[in-house]
Amino acid sequence: MYHLKIDGKEIDVPEGTTVLKAAKMAGIEIPTLCDHPALEPYGGCRLCLVEIEGARTLQPACTLPAGNNMVIQTQTEKVKSARTFVLSMLFSERNHFCPYCQVSGGDCELQNAAYDEEMTHWPLQPNWQVFEVDASHPYFVLDHNRCILCRRCVRACGELVGNFTLGMEERGSKTILVADLGVPLGSSSCVSCGTCVQICPTGALIDRWSAYRGHETDITSTETICVGCSIGCGINVLTRNNSLVRIEGNWDAEINGGVICEVGRFHPMAEKRNRIVTPLIRRNGVLKAATWDEALSVVSTKLQEVNTLKTGGVAAIATTRLPVEGLNLFSQIFTGQSGNNVVTSTEEGFYTSFTKDIEFSVRKEAGLEEINKADLLLTIGVNLVKDHQVAGFFVKRAIGKETNVITVTNESTGMESFTPYGKIINKGSELSFVSALNSAYHNQLHGEIMEKVGISSQEVVKLATLFKNAKNPMIIFGVEFEAKNKSDVIRALLQFASETNSKFASLKGNANSLFASQLNLDSSFTLNGSQVVFLALGDEDPSQTLTQRVENAPFIIVQASYQSALSAKADVVLPVTNWLEQNGHYVTSDGKTQEAKRALVPASDIKSNEEVFLALGSKLGLVLDENWMDAIKI
Amino acid sequence: MSKPKVATDWMAGCAGCHMSLLDMDERILQVLELAELRASPITDLKEADESGVDVGVLEGGINNTANEHQAKLMRSRCKYLVALGDCAVFGGVPAMRNFFTIEETLRRAYIETESTIDGFIPTDPELAVPTKVRAVQEVVPVDLHVPGCPPDADVIFYVLAELAQGRVPELKGDKLHWH
Repeated sequence: MYHLKIDGKEIDVPEGTTVLKAAKMAGIEIPTLCDHPALEPYGGCRLCLVEIEGARTLQPACTLPAGNNMVIQTQTEKVKSARTFVLSMLFSERNHFCPYCQVSGGDCELQNAAYDEEMTHWPLQPNWQVFEVDASHPYFVLDHNRCILCRRCVRACGELVGNFTLGMEERGSKTILVADLGVPLGSSSCVSCGTCVQICPTGALIDRWSAYRGHETDITSTETICVGCSIGCGINVLTRNNSLVRIEGNWDAEINGGVICEVGRFHPMAEKRNRIVTPLIRRNGVLKAATWDEALSVVSTKLQEVNTLKTGGVAAIATTRLPVEGLNLFSQIFTGQSGNNVVTSTEEGFYTSFTKDIEFSVRKEAGLEEINKADLLLTIGVNLVKDHQVAGFFVKRAIGKETNVITVTNESTGMESFTPYGKIINKGSELSFVSALNSAYHNQLHGEIMEKVGISSQEVVKLATLFKNAKNPMIIFGVEFEAKNKSDVIRALLQFASETNSKFASLKGNANSLFASQLNLDSSFTLNGSQVVFLALGDEDPSQTLTQRVENAPFIIVQASYQSALSAKADVVLPVTNWLEQNGHYVTSDGKTQEAKRALVPASDIKSNEEVFLALGSKLGLVLDENWMDAIKI
Repeated sequence: MSKPKVATDWMAGCAGCHMSLLDMDERILQVLELAELRASPITDLKEADESGVDVGVLEGGINNTANEHQAKLMRSRCKYLVALGDCAVFGGVPAMRNFFTIEETLRRAYIETESTIDGFIPTDPELAVPTKVRAVQEVVPVDLHVPGCPPDADVIFYVLAELAQGRVPELKGDKLHWH
């Protein structure tokens, strides 16, 4: 521990603590702009300059490690005049006129810093140089005129997302933020995660939906989780007057530490589907508005009628985006019925069936946070550029921190440009690849199988060597293997993991993929004469394949938030809340149970999935157990 | 002792800061008890007394030779000059045109605007000559900057009341907003 004195306050801090962090620990705020808790200290803006006893010049608090017996002053005239000078220079550089800026009035860190220094005016007026506005990106706008060159976005893009799209060009007053080698953002390598927008301290990066729709002080922020996939990233949903303004990553969330992806941040904003706002019943071939009681009566009568049939029961299919509460009731309603019922999920166990084939326990899996600790990562059976993107960010950013990353795919995913070990192998050759890797690890690789895999045995030997030298290897796998040997590949992978002492994690599918599987909602289905199809779609958009498979059923019930090709074919439509309008729990791919909180109030005639299932259960005379805790098997 | 004299004027602005001054409602009577309001755009007297006033208040940026004259006149006739509002303090909204040349802005305003037919740029020698829009402090020394677009009525009341009583207003915390 080092002993310090900051503004007369004495404090002990661990070795390696920066002066900025030490001051924070002592309850002293030092203003910053380029610094951000999620990023490495940078020392770019010089706003955090402090006086150190014995030092010749003022020192940046953000990058200066505290030394033992250091005496630090943060409020002297010299420090304060340096801050005002730094701010004056920043304001004079570009167009920082507040009245026509989106973030003015509370959300701008530059403006707030000036207020804190009690600046009533700019000692130096701007030089009126015009910079470009890059509005080529579909989700956000980059206004260079508002940029203070703090490089938070550049560092976030590299350090947090591992994408390295953003950078700086030129020097001095000509310095300019660029994407790639100076292309418009919209045609750059940007993956649209929006982390740069969230981290920008000024109005230089603003997103198209929330811009000019209210300050942070007059919007409500709900801390919840993203249900875009099974990772379960922590997010804050910003709303105003019961409408969605913006979604931000929650910097304090354990799983993602503030980083989210395009699916989580922008897709909900770009929602274009139409809502279903009232129950509908098909009468004389046309869907007509009905009351809940009418709609549920038709549904329960039909279900009871079908239950008495000798052949052809109900096919009940629920989305894995439903919360635990909804899935639990759904499963009880339909598995509790007599008759020939098919009860499953829209995923049909695609991502999870292996857990039963090979008696796999999620308890053995490592959490995704282990990616940050690994020194060797192997990803296989999953395209992390497209799916589970945040896991992909974790993997990509690890490359920059000297972690070796092996990606194994059947086609180019873009990962190959980040790692020297991006291997593209032949479709269906994963089993051969894994056994070759295992043989190589045991120095027993024979060349003959390699032709089938499509990479040379030397390459496999090189990969095996990485495993031999790794202290903390980790394998991240998906299920995109040939259906016939999916379980065999995973079994071989797990065997390899155990022999190489590798941690492993499987990514699964939608938000409640794992829990649906634990409720046995994971079999593939064929209608096979089902008289009724009950689809609890929630806010999932039914795939074309699903639609084609069920649309000719004699009677279709769709419980959904949005209109779709399926709801148009339905005989009864039950309108339900979307993910933003309901409370509920979700089980992540690695088995953590998280709570999602309601951020928006649904329209009056829309019920939550649980409410519908409970009402339906009571119409059917079923006693449903709302307790879901015991259904989660971790 | 006679009450301190206050004069105000507006230049390249929207008059909003003077509206905000009136927005202090009945408190304007309290100001008038403390100070004597002489020239202003909302009184009959339009130029500060030749004999001088104690406090001069300027709204708006300086965007032509006439504004320059106004600012210099006010400065020469007041002991203490207040720049009121974002335009006077920073240049404000009018200063957006500084990102273009004066020729471009004149052409846009007098010829290219969608509602203009047979437009032409006025050249009467009696007209003021447009310049780059400047903050008041770029033309004459300013004693107090009161930013805001507009500054709140509360802030204007506070500033005038303090000045009338011979104190220098302290703009910080809730009283400090640039817009």
